[in-house]
Amino acid sequence: MTEPLVTLSSIRKQFGSVVANDDVSLVINTGEVLALLGENGAGKSTLMKILYGFYTADDGTISIQGKPVGFSSPREAMAAGIGMVFQQFSLVPALSVLENLLAALPDAPWLQPRGSARVRAALRWLTRLAPDIDPARAVRTLGVGERQLVELAKVLNLDARVVILDEPTSVLTPAESERLYGFIRTLASEGKAVVLITHKLADVGACADRIVVMRGGKVVDRAGASERTPGTLVEAMVGRGAMGSLSAPAPPATNLPLLQVRGLSATVQGRVVRDITFELAAGEILGVAGVSGNGQFTLAEALAGLIAVDQGDVVLNGFSIAGHVHDGAIADEVAYIPERPLDNAVVAELDLALNLALREARRFSFFPRREAIVGRARGLIAAHDVRPPQPALAASSLSGGNLQKLVIARELSGKVDLVIACYPTMGLDVLAAQAVYREMFRQAAEGACVVWISEELDDLLSYAHRIAVIHDGEIMGIVRREDADRQALGRWMAGRAMDAA
Amino acid sequence: MSPATSMRIVAVIGGGAAFVIAAAIFLAAIGRPPLATLSQMVLYAFGDSYSLSESLVKATPILFCALAVILPARLGLITVGGEGQLYLGALTGTAVVVSFPAAPMILLLPAMLAAGAVGGALWGGIAGVLRARCNVNETISTLLMNYVAVLLVSYVVYGAWKDPTSLGWPATIPFPKAATVPGVFGTRAHAGLIAGILAAVILHIAVTHTRWGIALRVLAGNRKVAAMVGFDFVRQTLLVMAIGGTLAGFAGICETSAIQGRLQGGISVGYGLTGFLVAWLSGQHFLRAIPIAILVGGLIAAGDALQLYSKIPSASATILQGLLFVAALAASGAAGRRSARHE
Amino acid sequence: MNETEALAVAGSWVAAMLRSSTPLMMVTLGETLTQRVGIVNLGVEGQMLCGACVGFAVAAQTGSPVLGFAAGAAAGLLLSLIHAALCLGFDANQIGSGIAVFTLGLGLTSYFGRAAIGGQVTGLAPLAGANVAGVPFAGPILTQLTPIAPLAILIVLAAGFWLYRTRTGLNWRVVGESFQTARALGIRPLLVQAQGILIGGLLSGFAGAILSVDYTQTWANEMTKGRGFVAVGLVIVARWNPFYVLPVVLLFGLSEAATLRLQATGLTFSPYLISCLPYVVCLICVIVVSVREGRIGGMPAQLGSVFGSRN
Repeated sequence: MTEPLVTLSSIRKQFGSVVANDDVSLVINTGEVLALLGENGAGKSTLMKILYGFYTADDGTISIQGKPVGFSSPREAMAAGIGMVFQQFSLVPALSVLENLLAALPDAPWLQPRGSARVRAALRWLTRLAPDIDPARAVRTLGVGERQLVELAKVLNLDARVVILDEPTSVLTPAESERLYGFIRTLASEGKAVVLITHKLADVGACADRIVVMRGGKVVDRAGASERTPGTLVEAMVGRGAMGSLSAPAPPATNLPLLQVRGLSATVQGRVVRDITFELAAGEILGVAGVSGNGQFTLAEALAGLIAVDQGDVVLNGFSIAGHVHDGAIADEVAYIPERPLDNAVVAELDLALNLALREARRFSFFPRREAIVGRARGLIAAHDVRPPQPALAASSLSGGNLQKLVIARELSGKVDLVIACYPTMGLDVLAAQAVYREMFRQAAEGACVVWISEELDDLLSYAHRIAVIHDGEIMGIVRREDADRQALGRWMAGRAMDAA
Repeated sequence: MSPATSMRIVAVIGGGAAFVIAAAIFLAAIGRPPLATLSQMVLYAFGDSYSLSESLVKATPILFCALAVILPARLGLITVGGEGQLYLGALTGTAVVVSFPAAPMILLLPAMLAAGAVGGALWGGIAGVLRARCNVNETISTLLMNYVAVLLVSYVVYGAWKDPTSLGWPATIPFPKAATVPGVFGTRAHAGLIAGILAAVILHIAVTHTRWGIALRVLAGNRKVAAMVGFDFVRQTLLVMAIGGTLAGFAGICETSAIQGRLQGGISVGYGLTGFLVAWLSGQHFLRAIPIAILVGGLIAAGDALQLYSKIPSASATILQGLLFVAALAASGAAGRRSARHE
Repeated sequence: MNETEALAVAGSWVAAMLRSSTPLMMVTLGETLTQRVGIVNLGVEGQMLCGACVGFAVAAQTGSPVLGFAAGAAAGLLLSLIHAALCLGFDANQIGSGIAVFTLGLGLTSYFGRAAIGGQVTGLAPLAGANVAGVPFAGPILTQLTPIAPLAILIVLAAGFWLYRTRTGLNWRVVGESFQTARALGIRPLLVQAQGILIGGLLSGFAGAILSVDYTQTWANEMTKGRGFVAVGLVIVARWNPFYVLPVVLLFGLSEAATLRLQATGLTFSPYLISCLPYVVCLICVIVVSVREGRIGGMPAQLGSVFGSRN
């Protein structure tokens, strides 16, 4: 057995009171694909970021080919042959593909005329991975899957011996994921060591040689890929019995449409949705699947009445709500739960009490009573288990999960007619995500329409009544959950309309 | 005492010390004894009742211009337009006086003041509209409009409203008694000072304790969320820029009426810029701007006195303001750094 | 008007346009480069003033315009050092720091420049002697322009080439787009930003010296009259692209030359109203550019937080 390429021993890393990595050891071998499996928050990314020089371990050692190393910056790790492709790509959107690759090349020439051989050399991996991408295009015009390939090419240009991929398939269509698996296997067969950080079993099954499962900062299982079943892996990831399952919501009582969307077209920052049409009955949950960047944000904002619509209408309970941004009446009927609550749903500098009262803010008396606001906030905080339970704390000091609970407390406490949830569980761990779903389904049970935009196709297939797929700003099709077929949905997500059934 | 407050106190003391050191270096560089000159300046600013009144005279327009910066800042807007709004207010107010020089005081004075306020509101409002509707950065637009306002005043002073008897130094006719803002405390300081302090107090209460203040805070914090709950950025931008302009315009006409006695080319010695400095030093806080405006007014008055008695050109006051600004920025920046590191 | 006269008039207009634009060209280029690394420096007005004052004083003392230019550039550089120290060293707000630097520049030049007011200095010799004055179109240009104008144009073109076709130019652009990404790529963003500020200081000081030593050949209090702020606006109009700085500034210079011609013809417009034209033109250009795109296209991403378009 050849010596491992990289050995991490007894790594420990603590952030404040949270122990992200607790005595973690693992090895990485050349020519092998290692899957680092675990739920959000298990510590996988942190561990690899320590290897990549982003963080320094509080304790433990790292050695490459037997020699101990300590990286204090990604630059040093890159020089040693460690490359990492992050979930948030480190590409510069305004610059071209070629410029992004050039900027990352350690031995780039000073003079960079576009035709020179040395400049062209920066494209060698890109032409292998994605020959159809024009290097002169600005990165911001690329789709997410294409950007990921550019990022991968960037890392491979550095002649990395170890390639770490952080949740790569979370932003890809099924077809793009297949293509990526192929590349990963090719890289391994060419002698590179690949580490795949993921929480999806599909990734593991497709290309992993070896698996290490992490939970709560510790390694809880290691095995060859063939030695474990999906069931045992899931148990290892979430611990026994932690996954109290949610029951699927009951189908809607009537078929009378409560929400009617007709020919809706809108634009936000260049992202367009075109001619969106569907109807929802009271209590019905519509899941909207699709690769991120295909208009989900625009759709959510248009439905919530936050942006002007170019064409079409959104009719809720007989009233048109499209584009009526400042109408107080709508504020009572529509609940909006966006992704990344700190940026999109709360005012970071204000305290929890004010954030919870935002929906009523327009109706405050001229000299609002602070005690009333705080008192109400206390009640909501307690009911939804928001921590820390201090109404005077600024919203920016809450974690993502608690922020989302705060938003839910604000949006879903009363009775609303329409719930729009746009990636509501992004970045949350399993328990927090379940809490979010529970609230959404409760509203549906009480008669609200729910438009649920998500990337987790599995969740949509488990719980939504109907599933729509959005691609390039248009609805490719809507099917009932019972009739849904993963392959067909995948094709829609990639933009190919379903052949006549 | 919370760590934030103690950090702020350290910043103030540190900044003050840095300023005194920098001022001393400057004074030494121009060949004046640093400590003696500095203490002389303090006397010129606040030493006796005459000095105090002169400081208050300077402090009044400075306070207004500072308020004109602080209010938009509460919405997240950074405007440097106090100078231009001041000039425009002076212009429109003078228009009333020049058109009806014989009107009785009970009509003329309020009309003049109102016209001045409207002129300033107009100038501020234009920048507000440009920001709200055309996404034009308000710092740049107000800076450019400052120069235009000064030119417009020169235009009328050298042209249509020029008083034929003002030969060497073009100006309008002297304002009649009916158009003169009354003094207070029997000094040159005028009633505008009272108005300024009142305005600061009212604005403070409005922004801290009313629904409107909450709207401003939400809009400044996250415009998208604010739209979601029904607050309108366009309307509030217009409002704060217009109110700010009103304040500066009011100061402009008061200055023309009470201090200069007529409209002439050089109404302001950079009060707009000084107002910006005071707003910054006060941490965009209305009440704190009052004492700071008086202090900086004292600095400028002392500069004038230095020119008169010690033959040090009054441009030294501008230099000292610059040094004060730099010291304050360095101190607050350093303090912000340290508290961020301690979190 | 026959053809020769028309050509002569056209030539002299071009000459006036170029002479007018040259100081603005340098300061706009300087601020473009500074903003390209993600820093806004409103102090360029003060830096330009210092460059004009010091440049004039040195040229008057030594009799050498070239030394004047060098001294002016150095003065601008020194003043910009303060902005760099405040923003990068003390993490101060960029707008506030810029205004502080402007105040200092204003005060320092008003104070120390009193003695030099109204003085005269001999500038550089024109490109060609009076004997070619008769040459159609090129004649007025060659006899009225000094080597500064073509030099300035060359500097702008060189800067454009450098920004888009060299490794250091690419690094600067990366820093301006994303501080964090630059760091991840091994660039030292703080160092680059410091360089950007200082180069801006150098160019704006040079611009001021051109104004006092080459263009007007005198010094007057506050003589830049807000050209530095106009430059900050023009940077946006030129989309932060050095190559676009050229036509934008020339258009501006044309409007300024027109202003002077209008005043000379004794039209009934007050000279003060006419002097408003440059500022109004600049404002209109900024409006046009800002309206068309929600987020101003081409803006280096790091500037988003400085210009305060929060959402």
